[in-house]
Amino acid sequence: MADRLFSGFFSDFFSMVGVTDSIRVTLVMSFWSVLISSVLGVLLGLLLQRAQFAGKRIVVRLNRTLMAAPPVVIGLFSYMLLRNKGPLGMLEWVFTIQGMVFAQVLIITPLICGLIHSYAERIAPAVYAFAKTMGATERQTRWLLLREMKNEVYFAVVTGYGRSISEVGAVFLIGGNIKNSTRTMTTTISALKSAGDFEAGIFLGVLLMIMAFIIQCLADHFRKEDTPDEDD
Amino acid sequence: MRMIELEKKLGDFHLQIRDLYLAPGRIHGLIGPNGCGKTTLCRLLAGTLIADAGSIDYEGLKPRDITMTAQKPYMLHDSVYKNLVYPLRLRGIRPDETRVEQWLARCGLADKRKQSARSLSSGEQQKLSFARALIFDPQLVIVDETLSNLDPDSTRLFEGWMLERQATRSITWILISHQLPHLFRVCDEIHFLEKGRHLASGTAEQMLLHPANDAVRRFVAEQSVQSW
Repeated sequence: MADRLFSGFFSDFFSMVGVTDSIRVTLVMSFWSVLISSVLGVLLGLLLQRAQFAGKRIVVRLNRTLMAAPPVVIGLFSYMLLRNKGPLGMLEWVFTIQGMVFAQVLIITPLICGLIHSYAERIAPAVYAFAKTMGATERQTRWLLLREMKNEVYFAVVTGYGRSISEVGAVFLIGGNIKNSTRTMTTTISALKSAGDFEAGIFLGVLLMIMAFIIQCLADHFRKEDTPDEDD
Repeated sequence: MRMIELEKKLGDFHLQIRDLYLAPGRIHGLIGPNGCGKTTLCRLLAGTLIADAGSIDYEGLKPRDITMTAQKPYMLHDSVYKNLVYPLRLRGIRPDETRVEQWLARCGLADKRKQSARSLSSGEQQKLSFARALIFDPQLVIVDETLSNLDPDSTRLFEGWMLERQATRSITWILISHQLPHLFRVCDEIHFLEKGRHLASGTAEQMLLHPANDAVRRFVAEQSVQSW
């Protein structure tokens, strides 16, 4: 009986207009935004560690500020860039998943870059010295540093993914919360609340929490593996 | 290898080596009080520090011929086996499994080859780093207190390996250690540093049994008392 009730609610919930699509949009958007941000963030983080230039401390500080920037501000900035009259207006990305990915890349890249940079700063001297005494070439040394940071890279990517699926402000501004098109799980919850459908909103929220929990489990797993590094 | 007017400033510390010659193919010991510049000098020789002034004539040695093992060796996030063969992989050399097995057995790590190197005890890590430094046949090996965490039997074992290597194909060794008996047993020459300066050099017997220099005599006496 309970099974039938539950399966009834479950099928009703997923047949609701927009719910399945919002899950699809969330997964597609977060996949691309995390993929692009990871490539950019890891490269920029390592480059920032390696490069010596005047004003480096300011750049690091700016990046840390961006790590904590309110997503809605980044969303507004992205909208200004992407709107018809904006400098990137020709892309026609406003109210599209591409636009949402663009805004999320601006939010997540500094986060991944900052995590990678601070870890690289910590272990690079030891890795460079070791590589030198082993006779590694410049290229082998860079590769070694990245390899030695493997767990930290995973952790940064997983953290970025968590940020991506839980974000609402920027995707709302850029995506416009269009049903079956740019509505994500978080913006669907917001819409369901406005419609007074709390049950469905909570169910979707629980789904989102389960996704976030899985992401956190992965992050903890990588962090645990990394524990022996602490005394480096 | 000759160092001339070598200088390095690190905070308040200032290393100044006017003229120091380390004959190739011999085992050199570096001694001196803590903070006298032994490790700094070795890091300059290994190329992990850049000198502010002066020059080092390596007499034909290439950077890839030089290796250094530290007191707290860096272990890759990988297995014991992969740590051991890492310098071979860097050089595109396929590891000779029989030789690798011999090294693992000598270090007492044969049954731990798949274990994470970071989970080894500090003594085991030192043994592994020593083997890793020798496996690719370098021409200059700098050993910075690497044997300090080893028990007397293991230290003797390593001394045996060093002397065995010297008998078959002599390379240059630079050992930093506070274990004077250990240095006395293996070193051909001993060099004494104090406050960033090279004060004296001589054979192990001259430096440790009959030191002519007052500072060396004081240092050797203090070390002997401490070793009781």
